[in-house]
Amino acid sequence: MAERRGLEARERRLGYELVVPALGVILLVALFPLAWTAWESLHLHDLRMPWRGHPFVGLANYAEALQDGRFWAAMGHTAFFTAATVGLELVLGLVLALAMNRAFRGRGLVRAAVLLPWAVPTVVAALLWRFMFGTQGGIANVLLSKLGLVDASFVWFIHERAAWVPVILADVWKMTPFVALLLLAGLQNIDPALYEAARIDGAGAWERFRYVTLPLLKPAILVTLVFRTLDAFRVFDLVYVLTGGGPGTATEPIALYTFDALLRDLRFGYGSALSMIIFLVTFGLAVLYIRGLGLDLTGEGG
Amino acid sequence: MRPGGRRRPPSAAAPSAAAAPSAAGTLVGVLLVAVLALAACGGGPDQGGIVLTFPGSAVGAEARVLRTQLDRFMAAHPGIRVEQRVTPDAADQRHQLYVQWLNARAPEPDILQLDVIWTPEFAAAGWILPIDSLGADAAPFFPNTVRANRWRGHLYALPWFVDMGLLYWRTDLMDRPPDTFAQLARVAERAQREDSVRYGFVWQGARYEGLVTVFLEHLGGFGGRIMDDSGHITVDSDAGIRALTYMRDAVWKEGIVPRAALTWQEEQTRFAFQNGEAAFMRNWPYAYPLMEDTAGSGVAGRFAAATMPAGPGGEATSALGGSELAINANTRHPQAALELLRFLTAPRQMIERARVVGEYPTRRDLYEGDTLRGLLPIPPARARELIEHAVPRPVTPVYSQLSSLLQIQLHRALTRQADPRQALETAARQMRGLLARVGLAPGDSSGRAPGDTADPAERNRG
Repeated sequence: MAERRGLEARERRLGYELVVPALGVILLVALFPLAWTAWESLHLHDLRMPWRGHPFVGLANYAEALQDGRFWAAMGHTAFFTAATVGLELVLGLVLALAMNRAFRGRGLVRAAVLLPWAVPTVVAALLWRFMFGTQGGIANVLLSKLGLVDASFVWFIHERAAWVPVILADVWKMTPFVALLLLAGLQNIDPALYEAARIDGAGAWERFRYVTLPLLKPAILVTLVFRTLDAFRVFDLVYVLTGGGPGTATEPIALYTFDALLRDLRFGYGSALSMIIFLVTFGLAVLYIRGLGLDLTGEGG
Repeated sequence: MRPGGRRRPPSAAAPSAAAAPSAAGTLVGVLLVAVLALAACGGGPDQGGIVLTFPGSAVGAEARVLRTQLDRFMAAHPGIRVEQRVTPDAADQRHQLYVQWLNARAPEPDILQLDVIWTPEFAAAGWILPIDSLGADAAPFFPNTVRANRWRGHLYALPWFVDMGLLYWRTDLMDRPPDTFAQLARVAERAQREDSVRYGFVWQGARYEGLVTVFLEHLGGFGGRIMDDSGHITVDSDAGIRALTYMRDAVWKEGIVPRAALTWQEEQTRFAFQNGEAAFMRNWPYAYPLMEDTAGSGVAGRFAAATMPAGPGGEATSALGGSELAINANTRHPQAALELLRFLTAPRQMIERARVVGEYPTRRDLYEGDTLRGLLPIPPARARELIEHAVPRPVTPVYSQLSSLLQIQLHRALTRQADPRQALETAARQMRGLLARVGLAPGDSSGRAPGDTADPAERNRG
């Protein structure tokens, strides 16, 4: 008994020793920068105004953010962008996944082809969409004016609402394949026998989807949601290239505002506070989702 | 922050500095040997091993003329070597690089090439030397270019070349340029109607520094200013509201300015104008020679440049742009650096730059007589008049941040998200808030105001 306990203790110690390097790396590359940013966010540090010094100001930067109209507007834009793109991508991705899940000739080729938009670098995709929505001969205006929907000289990027259209379309175009792939993996884990059983019980196509596919796909959907929500919340490059956050700041997400504060105004303290807020919100979202996921996994998968 | 001063054709900005490091390395090696040899011989700390670094463009005619001039300087000053440090042409990137170096108190580069709106920022930060204390003389230069380089009573940079906002107009569509904004609108409308010119007037309406310069020119025309002499924000005056309303209506009501211009910077406006699509264009002098080039331009020989028009209550106003030369506060050789500044801003070098790269000299007397005749597209007497009409943007260390706030609100008004009064009031409130927060509000004597270190007596003047 005593010998066994000693063995266990030794094994446990060995275990700790083995994870130390990994923990060290995490500490160095993840926690250290985070702690540094948190510390910096408690200081006034305007690189362009060295005469103001580098004093500790407590939570003043956070207080400033909470009173900053541009900050709240940016948070609103981010939430809107996240809800709109993730919603559309889930629905379209599910349709795509269901289609690809059927057996047909050339399925492998189709699956590869569908992934193409996802493989295009975001900046390149954003530039493509900017050209497509350009005023001088952009394909969107050519097509839509033929349909009589917009004027051929319509300028998408100077309307606070219309400017969202290319932004959201570009993200949906680019990320739907990724969503479809994740959901397809989930679909393939569903036992075909369940569909047979449902059919024998007289379930129609909709019932089979509603009572077999959807519940069993839930874990995959949740994983997808986590990935996409956290990604969409930090959206930067797409907007930076497409609209630059404009007109005015009508399409500016929080990551772009943070970039502006940090790298244009060189306000390291305030920019760090904004970074910390993005981190806290995404972290909170992740925790929420993981809790939800965990419950669902034990409740249904276990 | 984009100072909107100079915008070259994209091809000119391609970096090709691959060969530079090794050459620089060799140079350093040679110098090291030279310095060691001097030290061994017991040579005193005379001009014997002074090395100055100068940041600049790496490519094109600009780099060549600079190289020539630096070589000439070294020939005249055998004790001083000047090494070139390659920096990006894009103003934003160059600014960021400078701030990094200067925050680290790096003694190099010894000379800094500043955009006109950076001087007060760098002066207040203590990053550049007050060169009047070293003996620099500002008298030969245009007073407005000097004003942009003064901070708290001291001169911090010498104007190297000057840029000014111009109204380009089509000589085949009208006999003479308009004097007032109302006239401009009439002529533009008529040109669109009768001469089938697609656009009446094109300017830079994207949300960036260029928009502020265009607004400044309209604002001056209507008799307003962004900031007054005592540092009060006055952008939300009646004149400001009238100017911004005029700009907005030109886009949405009269339709003389294309809506797409609200996404345009300098080059897009130049393309429209040189394709013969516009009756008027607001742009910098760089566009002139490019549009005279018949190979790429459809309006060669059919356009001219004038001052921007005036509105009721104001006078013709151009935005002042250009490049300045300053000395790093941590340099080990302030006097040698000043020598180089004096040399580069001397008449001979300025005339050479005008001839080779088409830049407008900042020395007033060069525009008299025949010195510049035929070297620049705009005749000297006319150019001088245009330069004298140029107004600096607010001279304050936080100009870039003020400009950011203003850009957003201007763009909101022009894209009809806010009406001009509301937009300018918001901008003014935010700008005043910023000045108060950083201790630059007019009459603010609390705390350590920037730029005090140089001369305590200056404090009481502000």
